[in-house]
This record gives sequence, structure tokens and C-alpha cells, in this order.
Amino acid sequence: MINTAHRIEFFPEKCVGCQLCYKACFVDVIRWDPEAKKPIFKYVSDCEHCFCCQAVCKKEAIRVIPDYSSEHLLQSFERYA
Amino acid sequence: MNYENKNLSCDILVAGGGIGGLSFAVSIKERMPETDVLIIEKQTAGYSGKANKGGGVLQYFDPEKVQPIDFLKLHVKEIGAYLGDQEMMLKYVSMNKEMIDKLSEWGVGIPKDENGRYRVLPTGPMTAMIRANLDMTVQVRRRAEKLGVRFLDKTAMSDLLTDGGKIAGATAFSILDGTFYVIKAKAVVLATGSQNYRIGSMWSSGRGDGIAAAYRAGAEMRNAEFGNFAQLAKVKSHHEVVFGENNMYNAEGEFITKNFRKTRETDISSTAIREWYIQMINGKGPVHLEFGEGHPGPGARALHDGSKDQSYDSRFRELNEKSAAEVDTDLEVCPLFIGEQSPICVGHDMQTSVAGLYAIGDCSYCGSAAPGAVPAPPGRNRGSGILNAVFAALVCAESIAASGLGGGAEIDMAQAESCREQLFAPLNRKEGVTAKEVIALVQKAVAPVEQSVFMKQDRMEQAMQYVRKARELAGKMKAEDLHDLLACREAEAMVLSAEMHYFASAIRKESRGWFLREDYPDMDNANWLKWIILKNVNGEMTYTTRDVPIEKWPVKP
Ligand SMILES: Cc1cc2nc3c(=O)[nH]c(=O)nc-3n(C[C@H](O)[C@H](O)[C@H](O)COP(=O)(O)OP(=O)(O)OC[C@H]3O[C@@H](n4cnc5c(N)ncnc54)[C@H](O)[C@@H]3O)c2cc1C
Ligand code: SF4
Ligand code: SF4
Repeated sequence: MINTAHRIEFFPEKCVGCQLCYKACFVDVIRWDPEAKKPIFKYVSDCEHCFCCQAVCKKEAIRVIPDYSSEHLLQSFERYA
Repeated sequence: MNYENKNLSCDILVAGGGIGGLSFAVSIKERMPETDVLIIEKQTAGYSGKANKGGGVLQYFDPEKVQPIDFLKLHVKEIGAYLGDQEMMLKYVSMNKEMIDKLSEWGVGIPKDENGRYRVLPTGPMTAMIRANLDMTVQVRRRAEKLGVRFLDKTAMSDLLTDGGKIAGATAFSILDGTFYVIKAKAVVLATGSQNYRIGSMWSSGRGDGIAAAYRAGAEMRNAEFGNFAQLAKVKSHHEVVFGENNMYNAEGEFITKNFRKTRETDISSTAIREWYIQMINGKGPVHLEFGEGHPGPGARALHDGSKDQSYDSRFRELNEKSAAEVDTDLEVCPLFIGEQSPICVGHDMQTSVAGLYAIGDCSYCGSAAPGAVPAPPGRNRGSGILNAVFAALVCAESIAASGLGGGAEIDMAQAESCREQLFAPLNRKEGVTAKEVIALVQKAVAPVEQSVFMKQDRMEQAMQYVRKARELAGKMKAEDLHDLLACREAEAMVLSAEMHYFASAIRKESRGWFLREDYPDMDNANWLKWIILKNVNGEMTYTTRDVPIEKWPVKP
């Protein structure tokens, strides 16, 4: 999908800097801040709501909040456009 | 923009670190431990790609119950529609146990029963499934690292370099700092996945840029017209409903599955997608699913015991299901276009038509011709995606080990420099369109199923207008940064995939297997037991046809 409006909540105080979420993102939404040792959610409008980043985070520092209305099935009938 | 240049070399360069690329790397190191193998992966190998985004289902053939030839007969008639390479399909079925054992040996968790045998779920008279833990790619990466495979993550292959028709290496760039790599290699193995046009969420890593690089380098493409997979999805969450096609009802409460299916089939068919469209166009939509009292409902959950532990599998499934359940208040469905174009043409040794260039897994599934007239994976053959990638990896490693590494080709630095210039051009443009504008046009062409799955000449023409516009704009893309530059590369590849799809689809004047044309509704064995081969000749898309050698294979029409 392109131009999605999914949101990602990040709780930096819980994050231990393990980098797993950064590695887990398969479409480069998440970058790594080497100084802060924390993820940066840089390209959120490319997020596919796959939940992989949240699933790998053992510290519950990430919450993906999908906005399904921002994804489009692109069929020709108005209902599904 | 001035990014650093770096020259690297290795014996074998693998592009793509999904289950296919990783399995190849491990397998070649097992056979040729001294070989220097480098994997470049656009994201992070072990986490990227598709094998960890789905069901983790592996197709299983019980050797005591199923003879490979019997499954072949079923497959050729019901799925491949006589267009498949029967030798390859037989070999794939025969190697089933070996492949699953290999994954297990490489550290992939495959649940076993109390007698130490794989836990098997029979799914039909000939088919069965077993499960592999979704962290399989992490495990195989670890194995590869132990064997000395080198990795370069966040590095995207951009072009292939050739020397007089032989592979010499590839170019790549870091999506983090822009470093431009010229990599010399004796062989290059593409394991870059299929083309999914960024429509279905979980399929979104399939962006076809490996396919496009192979095409630009002159590699032949086969079965490009079979890159039009679609699945029924719930309209609110867009989550797919596997096997939902057996329970379709229209707005008048009529059971419409009976219009296209008399008996149960192996999986979703393009006729189910056509039926949805016919209902909608006749004002009988929306279409929904009904399962009746007491039925567990959609989804193939039986393989998963439902336990909620802290494993990646459990968390991944639970998070996805819980979130979808919050919005899915009903079972209204509509097609989700998935694509799965996988056309790089390879022979029985997984080599492309460019010497020293190999292609395995999702980027060459249809191109290998093994599945026949069906977009693959899953190719109406559930649990064949991961195993096909492992199969192709093992066959490729075996053939390289047997024939030895070629080599001798030299990098042409002028060729590499021209690739660099073209790659970085969008970063240097002050004005232009975005990659997403180009992608949106391609999606407008391929996503509506009457333009891609249930085709007709005039509707394809309509789709091609979007594709032509996308092609025109693709030359004017501008990128803000390196993430955007990658999107430009991918957008360009999506335009090419759509062009190949419509070019080949217009040539195939029949319907066969998954491939449906309203204007040519019948299968035409007299004229179309043929593969359509596409090739880039001096920038021009050309085609030839190749007869399917059906006379030498066991199953005939
Ligand atoms: C939702 C879903 C459910 C599925 N369920 C099942 C199932 O239950 N059972 C089954 O057998 N199969 C299933 N499949 C299919 C299966 O996952 C795939 O067939 C298989 O993983 C393909 O492996 P691959 O390595 O060929 O390709 P991929 O997994 O697509 O890997 C390709 C890799 O190449 C990288 N790449 C791409 N371009 C470049 C480039 N230019 N440079 C560098 N790297 C690049 C990508 O980032 C990616 O990591 C499912 C797929 C999906 C999406
Ligand atoms: S996975 Fe969790 S703990 Fe690890 S870096 Fe990401 S947010 Fe932090
Ligand atoms: S939900 Fe998936 S796509 Fe979105 S940021 Fe997390 S890993 Fe990336």
C-alpha cells in the first residue's frame, strides 16, 4: 500500500536499544539512531501494519495502530475504490 | 550528490536474503566450503522477505501414500493446465522430505509428535501440511553466518553487469549512506522475490526490481502473463480469507460458489474472482461469505494449536488477528490483487539465459515453468512457496557444485558508471514526479480485477493507458533521499512488470488455468501449448514462443 495512515506509538523509556524492530521492518519504515540507541519511525506513511516490529519487541515498547481506512483495495466499484 | 564508490569481489553474489537466498548460501557452503559467498539484502536478511509473514505452512507428501507421479497428474490437469515443466514438478515432489529435513537440520523449528515425527495435517487425498516456525529465516541466516557467508544488509542491488553475454557482477547501493558498490562475481544468484505492486500489505516486499535488473541485462522472461494472482479479502481489514471462495453468497442470499465450482478444488481460482466481478456488475453485490452454524469460520488455523506464548509466531498471529477482529464486523469480501509475477526464465539448473546468472525462489517460479498456467506462489498449491524457494536453492547449489564456477568475465567500468548515473538521476532532478505517483498509476491498471484477472482486449487497452502514462512519468521521477531513491527503482520495475503482463496477455489468445480472457474463453491446445518468452532487445520488448515439449512428458491433454 502507499500513503497509509497507520500510527506507531513508541515508549522510549521501555526501549533497551536491541535493534530488533529496526531489523524486523521489511519496508524501511524504521531507521536507527546510533547516538540515542533508539529506533526512529521515519517513513511511517509506508507502514504496512504487518506488526513485525511490535512482535519482536520483548519490552512492549512499540504499539502499531492500524488505520484500515487508509488502505485501498483499488477495485473499480466505488465501494472498494 | 557525491556518494562514496566501493569495489568488492566475491565468488558468488546472492541478491536477496529471504528464505531462497539464505537456503542457497547455506547449501553451496555445505557443498563448496571454500567458496566466498556474499549476500546483499535491501533490508535485513533473516527478517526481510515473505517467509515470516504468513502461515508458515509447508506442503507435505507422505511417501507411503503419495507417488510423485500421482500428484503430478492432479497438478497438470487441475492446476498447471499442461503448461508446466513436468520434470521439474516431479523432482520437486520427490525432494519434499529432503527439503523439510534440510530446514530442520539448519535450525528451523518444525513441530514434531511424541514419536519424533513431523506433525502432519492431511488436507486432501494427496496433500498434507506441516508447519515451520516463522522465525525460519533468522535461523537459516545464523546457519549461513556460521558457515562463513558474508552479509551486506540495507544494500539494494541496482543493476547486473555483463561482459559479452556473461555475468561479471552487479552494482548496488546502501539505502543508509548511499555508498555505491561495484561487485565483481563469478556467478550471481538472484533471490529477490516476485512482483506484488505494493498492494497487499504482507506481500509488499515483492517489488520486482531484481526481475527488472535481469530484464535489462537481457535475460529471457517466461510466463509473464501469469503474474495476476488475487485472493478474496475482508473489505474492512483487507485480511485475506484463504479458501473463502467455497462459501460465497451475493446480496440476494444466493449461493454463488455453485456458479463456478461443482466440486471442491485445491484452492482459490480465477473463476471465483470472475464470479465476484459478474455479481458486482449485475448489481447483485456486495458479496459475502457464510459458513453456517457451528463452523469454525474462515482460515486454516488447524495447524496452529492456538497457544499464546511469547514466541514470534504467537505474537505475530495474535496481534494481526486481534487488530483485524476489531474492524471486521461482517464477512463482506472483495478481491485483493496480489500479482506474484515471477517470470525470470531459468533452465533445470536454475541458470537464466545470461551465462553465470541464476534465479531462484519467487523471482523465477513461473519463469522456471514448474507450476504451469498459474501465478506462483502459492499457485493454487498451498505451502509450495517456501518449499519452492528451498527447492530452487538446492537445485541451483547442486548445479553450480557440479559444473564449477565459470568466471573469467571482467567488469566494464564504463558500464558500471553508466548504471551509477542512471541510478542516482532522480536525486539530481530539481523538478519531477514522485515514485508514488508512478506507482499509483500502475496500481490503477493492475488492481481492478477485470483489467488483470478476468481480461478482455478493450479492458486491457484501458489498463495500458495508465501503464503508458506511468512509463512516461517514470523518466521524470525525483527523489528526496535514499529511501525515496529505492522507491523510484521499484516504481520503474512495477511499470516494466505491468508492461510485460499486458504484452504477453494480449498475445495469449485463449484461456488456460488461472489465465482468463472473456474474449477467448476456451483452452486452445492446438495453438497455445506454448510458452511466451519476452526479451529486451536494444530497449525494445520482443517476444517469441516456445513449444511445450508435451510429447516427452507423462501427462498429456
Ligand atoms: C502473507 C503471506 C503468506 C504466505 N504463506 C505461505 C505459507 O504458509 N507457506 C508457504 O510455503 N509459502 C507462503 N508464502 C509464500 C512464501 O513466503 C514465499 O514464496 C517465499 O518466502 C519466497 O522466498 P524468496 O526468498 O524467493 O523471496 P522473498 O521472501 O520475497 O525474499 C526476497 C528478498 O529479496 C530482497 N530484495 C528484493 N529486491 C532486492 C534488491 N534489489 N537487492 C537486494 N535485496 C532485494 C527482499 O527484501 C527480500 O528479503 C506466503 C507469502 C505471504 C506474503
Ligand atoms: S525492539 Fe523494542 S527494545 Fe528493541 S530497539 Fe526496538 S523498541 Fe527498543
Ligand atoms: S508494522 Fe511492519 S511495516 Fe509497519 S513499521 Fe512495523 S515492521 Fe514496519
